[in-house]
Amino acid sequence: MLTIALPKGRIAEDTLKIFKEIFNREFEFEDRKLVLESGEFKFLLVRNQDVPTYVYHQAADLGVVGLDVLEDKGLDLVRLLDLKGGYCRVAIGMRNEDELDYNKPDIVVATKMTNIAEKFFASKAISPKIIKLYGSMELAPVIGLADMIVDIVETGTTMKQNGLKVVDTIMESTTHLIANRSSFIEKKSEILDLYSRFEDVINRGGRV
Amino acid sequence: MVLEHEIPEGSKVYFGEIAKRKRKIESIASELFYQHNFEEMVTPIFSYHQIDSIPHEKLIHLTDKDNYPMNLRADSTVDVSKLMLKRVGRTNDNSRWFYIQPVYRYPSIEQYQIGAESIGGGELKEMLQLNIEIFEAMEFQPILQISNVAIPRKIAEELNLSIDIFKNIEIKKILALQIDWLQELLYLEDVKDIDRVFDMSPQFIRDELEKIKELVESLNYKEVKIAPLYYTKMDYYNNLIFKFLRNNRVFARGGNYSVDGNSSVGFSIYTDEILNQES
Repeated sequence: MLTIALPKGRIAEDTLKIFKEIFNREFEFEDRKLVLESGEFKFLLVRNQDVPTYVYHQAADLGVVGLDVLEDKGLDLVRLLDLKGGYCRVAIGMRNEDELDYNKPDIVVATKMTNIAEKFFASKAISPKIIKLYGSMELAPVIGLADMIVDIVETGTTMKQNGLKVVDTIMESTTHLIANRSSFIEKKSEILDLYSRFEDVINRGGRV
Repeated sequence: MVLEHEIPEGSKVYFGEIAKRKRKIESIASELFYQHNFEEMVTPIFSYHQIDSIPHEKLIHLTDKDNYPMNLRADSTVDVSKLMLKRVGRTNDNSRWFYIQPVYRYPSIEQYQIGAESIGGGELKEMLQLNIEIFEAMEFQPILQISNVAIPRKIAEELNLSIDIFKNIEIKKILALQIDWLQELLYLEDVKDIDRVFDMSPQFIRDELEKIKELVESLNYKEVKIAPLYYTKMDYYNNLIFKFLRNNRVFARGGNYSVDGNSSVGFSIYTDEILNQES
């Protein structure tokens, strides 16, 4: 039995569509249920940011999650396969009228992805003040809480609508299939079998 | 604010029944160590040599009276080996030592360990058998993983690859090389398939594969998984290694290693993990 953690929403739906394509049967959560058991698979519906945690602690053997979340969590997991979907960037946003200056002595950054931000600025030998926020990130530079934000950008529309521009890109992200390290030893043949079936679908243009 | 009853995260308190079980596990192990002619060594809690085996960020750093850096013991193997080779060895020719003591890692992690080292030689097979004997005496049978870190090292060297491909289990990159024998090694987990893969494999890893086969066939253990491409992050292991695991817990780890150019063999049992598994 393989247990797979899926983030609620589109990624879970797309992943289950691929399972349906591979195994030629329905995989569907009943209304409001968080666990789906079907044959040799058990699926868990969890919050996006919690997927790596479930897999790291082996509450799930496998998980599907964005590379941005994986990088920010920084947990020791096996990155099995790039599922090529959910493309976005982790980018730095500033007010339209401000200029990016990494030489400024006191940089204040607002973000929910504090680890990605810390690593990025550390690589530039900059030690900014990082303020953790949980949402409405675009507000921070506008009201003077921070000089810049580090946030997910898909089309850039939200930033634009709030008077912000993208000034630098930290990383690009797509959805990944991940595995727990112990599961990879204990259930290697099942995991590699699923890996190759997923890879076939992705190579034929399937996306999650 | 620190509450009156608070203890730091990662530190351990055992009392009553669970402390009794801990003592029993340690007693079973020490009895068997003595039966196999091991002697006990207790090493200092303060150490100058931890950085040789444990990453900087996992160590608890202190300084000595001359302001020279030292650490709290985060791993017993390096100090047991160095003490044996540089000090104890002058007056005691025993090379088989065991220890039962905790290690400490940043920021406040305590781990109780039971370990054995055969310094300057020894057979991995015998050490693994002893580890199994201890677990059998405890009626405990986790999955046994057998690997040989010389295999990924040699492959990385011969094919001019980064060892990180194996360290991080980057399957896509391994498969993208489109090398039949490498693909077979990735999938290999049952020793009965090793002969088939052996015949396909290049000369430079055949001896190392043979070592895995010989070791597994010498054991009478129910659940064995071989993982020839597995690469451990412990820097001192250099050849055959083993690991006991189940349900995301690693209960023991051992292997061939080299300290100051001396080949040795040893293992550590993680007592806390066994107690947590039982409770």
